[in-house]
Amino acid sequence: MRPALWLAAGALGLGLSPSAEATTTLKLVEVITSPERTETLKSIVKTFEDANPDVRVEITSLPWGPSFEKLATMVAAGDTPDVVEMPDVWLALYANNAALESLEPYLKTWPHTGELNQRTLQLGRVVRNTAYMLPFGFYLRALYYNKKLFAAAGVSAPPRTLDEFVAVSKKVSSLPGKYGYCLRGGAGGVNAWMMFGALANGSDVFFKTDGSSTFTDAGWIKGFATLADIYKSRLAPKDSVNWGYNDVIAGFYSGTCAMIENDPDALIAIAERMKPDEYGIAPWIKGPSGKSFPTIGYTGWSMFASSKHKELAWKLIATLDGVPGNLVWNRRIGALPIYTTAAKDPLYADPRLKGWFDELNDPDVVPMVMPVDLRVWALFASSIVPRTSQSLLLGQLTAPEMAQQWAQVMTKAKQTQK
Amino acid sequence: MLRRTLYWSSHYLLIGLYVLFALFPLFWLIKVALTPDDLLYSEGIRLWPSHTSWDHFRFVLTHSEFPLFFRNSLIVSSSTAVTVTLVSGACGYGLSRFSFRGKPLLVALMLITQMFPLVMLVAPMFRLLAPLGLTNSLTGLAIVYSAFNAPFATFLMQSFFDAIPRELEEAAMIDGATRFGAFRRIILPLTLPGIAATGGFVFTAAWSELLFALMLNSSSQASTFPVGLLSFVSKFSVDFGQMMAAGVLALIPACLFFLLIQRYLVRGLTAGAVKG
Amino acid sequence: MSAVSRRLAIGAEPYLYIAPVLIVIVAVMLVPLSVGLSYAFRDIQLLDPFSGGYVGFDHFRELKADRNFRAALFNTLIWAGASVALQFIFGLILALLLNREFPGRRLVQALVFLPWAVPTFLVGLDWAWLFNPVVGPLPGWLFALKITHDTNNLLADPGTALIGPIVASIWWGIPFFAITNLAALQSIPKDLYEAASIDGAGVFNQFRSITLPLLAPTLAITILLRTVWIANFADLIVVMTNGGPADSTQTVASYIFTVAFRRLDFGYASSIAAVLLLLLFVYALAILSLPRLIVQRQS
Repeated sequence: MRPALWLAAGALGLGLSPSAEATTTLKLVEVITSPERTETLKSIVKTFEDANPDVRVEITSLPWGPSFEKLATMVAAGDTPDVVEMPDVWLALYANNAALESLEPYLKTWPHTGELNQRTLQLGRVVRNTAYMLPFGFYLRALYYNKKLFAAAGVSAPPRTLDEFVAVSKKVSSLPGKYGYCLRGGAGGVNAWMMFGALANGSDVFFKTDGSSTFTDAGWIKGFATLADIYKSRLAPKDSVNWGYNDVIAGFYSGTCAMIENDPDALIAIAERMKPDEYGIAPWIKGPSGKSFPTIGYTGWSMFASSKHKELAWKLIATLDGVPGNLVWNRRIGALPIYTTAAKDPLYADPRLKGWFDELNDPDVVPMVMPVDLRVWALFASSIVPRTSQSLLLGQLTAPEMAQQWAQVMTKAKQTQK
Repeated sequence: MLRRTLYWSSHYLLIGLYVLFALFPLFWLIKVALTPDDLLYSEGIRLWPSHTSWDHFRFVLTHSEFPLFFRNSLIVSSSTAVTVTLVSGACGYGLSRFSFRGKPLLVALMLITQMFPLVMLVAPMFRLLAPLGLTNSLTGLAIVYSAFNAPFATFLMQSFFDAIPRELEEAAMIDGATRFGAFRRIILPLTLPGIAATGGFVFTAAWSELLFALMLNSSSQASTFPVGLLSFVSKFSVDFGQMMAAGVLALIPACLFFLLIQRYLVRGLTAGAVKG
Repeated sequence: MSAVSRRLAIGAEPYLYIAPVLIVIVAVMLVPLSVGLSYAFRDIQLLDPFSGGYVGFDHFRELKADRNFRAALFNTLIWAGASVALQFIFGLILALLLNREFPGRRLVQALVFLPWAVPTFLVGLDWAWLFNPVVGPLPGWLFALKITHDTNNLLADPGTALIGPIVASIWWGIPFFAITNLAALQSIPKDLYEAASIDGAGVFNQFRSITLPLLAPTLAITILLRTVWIANFADLIVVMTNGGPADSTQTVASYIFTVAFRRLDFGYASSIAAVLLLLLFVYALAILSLPRLIVQRQS
């Protein structure tokens, strides 16, 4: 059915769009593209189009890998959409350059604003305390573990503390060709470094009151060193120094390494490749202070200030982030809900999601928001961290030296911003 | 006698090694494309999976947008090949037959355009093409590719023309024909293999280009197949099997083209053979 | 047609032939290229519409002190040098092998030229897979042949990581040199060799005194073009190692990409590109004067 449709569209010629006299076209761009997800997006958008018959939404799906540079190029050249999917890591870049429209006036009159849980608005307002994006869901880290490997290594239960984590890793790594931890040494590994650092530090405070970074505190350094030691003692595959998202997931479901810390959306890939009794999900480990600091990330919808149809764009965002659109969306993409009532929704009664809801309900679990309000964060996470942490893993840098370099970048950014 | 046997056996041995080296990675592509998902990692190192499946190919052809991307690539690459062959043919002829003021400058200019990293040209090129409506269009892409490939194609065509003695047109011109007429009726037919070779070379280059196809075009209506390959890498899964299947499918036209023209490339580049 | 206008027409003739290419190149490449180069003297932050001010030579001053750039330059020398040298040597050997007639030559020729038709993104991915111990055969084979100490991925070790992209580029680039050298070899008249062997010259002598000098112009141009392309070529590295681990495979081209599309600093990236352009131009001048030097030494 589909190829015929595309061939027909192609046969009509290039760039011909169905013309309608009074049609307004809204441009929507998604960046964490995946074929099944695009289908869900299209169906939610269709409910919007049905409710607004003279509006058409043109969806552009950027390939996920180069999506950052692609969107940046488009925006820099003036090819801006009306509504865009905005990851937390990019928010500061676009919001601080006056590219995004503030959603505050719309939120004031939106009926669903009161039903959003506290975190939603708090995180959407990270930049200058203004809602430049409305999050659609949260990504919280939890511990995935391989039950088969655990059984083979004689481990009965998932680790609950940092010491147990290292001990379990050692046991699994003693199996030939197997490793305890799937380390993400390449792009996107910053979350793990922050998590281990905060665990040892007992606190997730990133900056002192004068704006200088806390990374050089002994606690953070000890956490960084612990993670580095896990790699250096071969508790993670040697290859993992280069591993990105897809590599760690593949490492997990291929049974190469037994533990991985990741968000609920990784469940989609893992559930497809592993049987339900082969893996389990537990809350993230606690540190010596008795507290756990899994990172919490979020993605949402933003409106570009250059949009010529702001009211309509808001209506689109409201549909995507409203009820039931948002629930359908989160069900597909595997994020945690933004609505306080959603926890009772049957969707979230899935036993596999128990690990995350346990985390959210545990007072000793402090979801850690990374300093995404800093404009330098995107560069820090995508380039500085992989480069320096790889040097640390390979023994070219010591943990204090790496912490020092990170602190320099963070302090400068914090003190010069705003 | 022994020396000859030694020579030829080492000759064949080396040839064999070259063929093996050239074909093994291509074999591996096909192997991964035929491996079902569940065996991809568990049987990763085996030379051939325990059972093969055509599922990936089937999926690429029926469920993905690949046929569209394929068609777009075909359009862009063919139009680029035709355009470049025409303009570079003319320019190559000019460089071969004439010496004129500014000739070294032109050559230097063409060389310089090859030296600038294309990454840096993306933003300015986008700004140049957007107001003309040439972004998100196959036409814009064909124009950009033509500009990129023109210098090298000109060099190729020039060497093909160099191989044909000037006396041929000059004799015709003495008989009253215009230079262009002589060019069209006498020279062109002789260089047909060279033209085919250049066209094929440019086609292959345009067929595999990724950076500008990715950056200048956004909608899937205007995406070419290299961009399509990227869409197999998503957050939910990396469909390596499907990506390799798509890659193998896309290789077929490029390989066919190349197989057809490589003979002419060698023959045509043989400057001076006719003079000998 | 008067004599003057005919002379004008004849004078204008060459320009008519070269005009289309000139127009296309100037319009589509030169304008963006000059704009791109001009960024080197301005502060261009991609997402900051208020940037764009003139900063003179500031970027170049920063570049002089940039350790990452120096490291990338060093890697580029290794990357370009090893890739081009090995592609050239293996390509030349292949051309020499194909220069002799033998049964099946046409088929062999077609097969060994195939790698050139593969898109570079796919080449990088394919070779990354081949080197991956979980899904590729190479680590196991290298270990069995005692070339490596273990079956680890050599792309993960900073000391060996650059080997991966180099091997991939050799695989991809051999056809280019083989085709061009084969063509040049076939244009050398056979009687020159016959005369030489009658005079008693051995195979090596013939190669040195006949083949090499006649091949020299082709060699110069192809080596030049290839080096220029490879120096600017970030695809294989970005796909296979992303410049890592720990920047051990970061070349100038991939560094430009990082600065432009991660730091979003197009001004600085352009200054790096300008320096690279200058270096390649100097290199081009040097290479193009080489054939003359060889010929002078011969006589």
